[in-house]
Amino acid sequence: MDNPDNLFRQPSRRDVLGCGLACGAAGVFCAARSAVAQQDTAGTGALAGPKLQGVARHRAMFFEKLQENKVKCVLCPRECEVADVERGYCGVRENQGGEYQTLVYGALCSANVDPIEKKPLFHYLPGTTAFSIATAGCNMECKFCQNWQISQFRPEQVDSRLVTPEKLVAACKRYRSPTIAYTYSEPVIFYEYMHDTAAAAREQGIGSVMISNGYINEKPLRELCHHLTGVKIDFKAFTEEFYRDQCSGHLKPVLAALEVLKDVGIWFELVVLIIPTLNDSPDEIKQMSGWVLEHLGPDVPMHFTRFHPTYRIKNLPRTPIGTLDRCRQIALVAGVHYVYAGNVPMHPGENTYCHNCKAELIRRVGFRVADNKIKNGKCPKCNTAIPGVWSQEQALAFKPNSRV
Amino acid sequence: MSQQSTRRQFLVRTGAVAAGAVIPTACDGKPAAPNEPRASARAAPRVVIARDDKLTRGKVHEHRDLLPKLLDAAMQKLRKTPDAPAAWRQLFRPKDRVGIKVNTLGLSTQPAVVDAIVAGLRQADVPAENIIIWDRFQVELARAGFKSRGGVQCRGTDESDHGSGYQRQIETKGKIGSCFSKIVAEQVDTLISVPVLKDHNLAGVSLGMKNFYGAIHNPQKYHDDNCDPYVADVVSHPYIRPKWRLTVCDATRAQYHGGPTFNPGFAWPFGGLIVSADFVAADALAAHMLEEQRKEKGMKPLERERRPTRHIATAGARGLGEADLSKIESIEV
Repeated sequence: MDNPDNLFRQPSRRDVLGCGLACGAAGVFCAARSAVAQQDTAGTGALAGPKLQGVARHRAMFFEKLQENKVKCVLCPRECEVADVERGYCGVRENQGGEYQTLVYGALCSANVDPIEKKPLFHYLPGTTAFSIATAGCNMECKFCQNWQISQFRPEQVDSRLVTPEKLVAACKRYRSPTIAYTYSEPVIFYEYMHDTAAAAREQGIGSVMISNGYINEKPLRELCHHLTGVKIDFKAFTEEFYRDQCSGHLKPVLAALEVLKDVGIWFELVVLIIPTLNDSPDEIKQMSGWVLEHLGPDVPMHFTRFHPTYRIKNLPRTPIGTLDRCRQIALVAGVHYVYAGNVPMHPGENTYCHNCKAELIRRVGFRVADNKIKNGKCPKCNTAIPGVWSQEQALAFKPNSRV
Repeated sequence: MSQQSTRRQFLVRTGAVAAGAVIPTACDGKPAAPNEPRASARAAPRVVIARDDKLTRGKVHEHRDLLPKLLDAAMQKLRKTPDAPAAWRQLFRPKDRVGIKVNTLGLSTQPAVVDAIVAGLRQADVPAENIIIWDRFQVELARAGFKSRGGVQCRGTDESDHGSGYQRQIETKGKIGSCFSKIVAEQVDTLISVPVLKDHNLAGVSLGMKNFYGAIHNPQKYHDDNCDPYVADVVSHPYIRPKWRLTVCDATRAQYHGGPTFNPGFAWPFGGLIVSADFVAADALAAHMLEEQRKEKGMKPLERERRPTRHIATAGARGLGEADLSKIESIEV
């Protein structure tokens, strides 16, 4: 699970603290305070700078002006109508006199160098790192959010540092990460910053992956795909009831966004956090897998990951490993080629197997790639092409399909 | 329509009963517990509308002498006593740590109104040091003209250097899950809500109950469905409901449309205060008055603008107070 809380291995921690924006153990609101304090004394890294006072205002994209100085945000399916001086549901976009503004342009509250496997993206440059960043805010409220200390807070309520897109790209280069990951909270709500950074990164030979809930309207998503090189979507369940009751959202817009990604042709993977009794029924997994197969095709990887009690769902147990195995089996039987079990270190379901000859191609130990046998994007045993992004050249060569 | 006839009509419409109706008051020296089940369950909760035309002229702060008198008169009617200090003492004790929740988003609570409340609390021997004027952001408080003085503290929840900030744990009540301001959760044991009589683009109105959205870290998450049932969820939390003693709705400068930001095109020089110890009744009556004003101005009812004030009815249905206008005793002074 892409949680900034757990990610520091010792060498990286020093690196990142030196780098400056320290969220080490610390994308988390409260922990961030102490981590930032360490950064203040370290303070010489590429992202060093004073704590942001207030917010980082920048004109928002994708809104319509209404009467009486109101605006309608059309970035995400909520389409909030926002009165003057008020904010949208995400808490990071504000109407000021009929002009909609983002308050988190470059206001990073988390930054870290993660294995790309932690996102998780298993078919995208395996074994490489992703320079991972976030701002405060989210356009959903999932009761099981693992990063709620940043996603469910407003920008004034978390410690942030102001980092321009150019500065972020430079830091990423310094750490030799081939990829920037927009992650931890919900990147859709810091769309403008992600958009500009991804564009600047590409010019410098760096890819960009969005780790998102997929709650975004078609037009902004298509526009964004001009700059991204990969996407991971948290596909939270396959029932409207779950999206409504557990996430304060809706299922249909997410399905629509997935179909847009398929149409655009960008590489993307799906993660389904399996929560006991809420979204773990075999029927639901079967329907979900069937929909994926029909609408997205067999080559979109699905990760069924283990839930741990947190935030507003503390009364349910961790997902039994047997449940993950069952979900994985259902999806494989349905015809999805690459299905993983996640958040269970050393589980064989974390490895990649050729969908044709079943040979083990990538062996993973936690977030580490222990062995990668894929050669030129193919299985060395049967020469079957393995879907995914296997080189930086391939990542940067991506262009959205023509309808964009 | 003249103001006089409007008031009269208003009293008739809201089913006001005679001023002599019995209302339970605490006579044992302890403050009453507003919004708790009453000994006489049938007694109508009382809402006092205190107006003075002079307040509609000039700036509100120019009436610093008038406002305490007006508020004292309202308190005397509310607590049925000719003695203003006694009225305040019925609701507040010297040991109380009182949080005055103002509303500084958009059309803001007037500092002169809060000064009058502080003067009233001082009559109940509440030390100035025990009084905190608070809202979400220090910058908004300052912009609205609030500052610490005379021992009374003025603090935004965001001012964590002074022990404010939000609690770290999530509090769940009904459908909400929020971190509460440490001011309301830990630093005060008594609350006064001082909203502005104003329109709200989603909730219909922003009054005493909605004002406590400023006590949670994530109010933006609870504006769907006209803020219902979320407003009732917030105010029924143990951090708020048992502590809430009084609503003083600032109607010196009201707004019947285009809120919550200030919009001079819809300004309403009401020139008064709406005071009650029943926070649901205060909001119900204030919302009704706002609807009447909209009607007088030829505007659609809030319901037809898809902004019904359902959160007030929900609070009433949950027994947090009285939302039925026919059961509310309204009195003008």
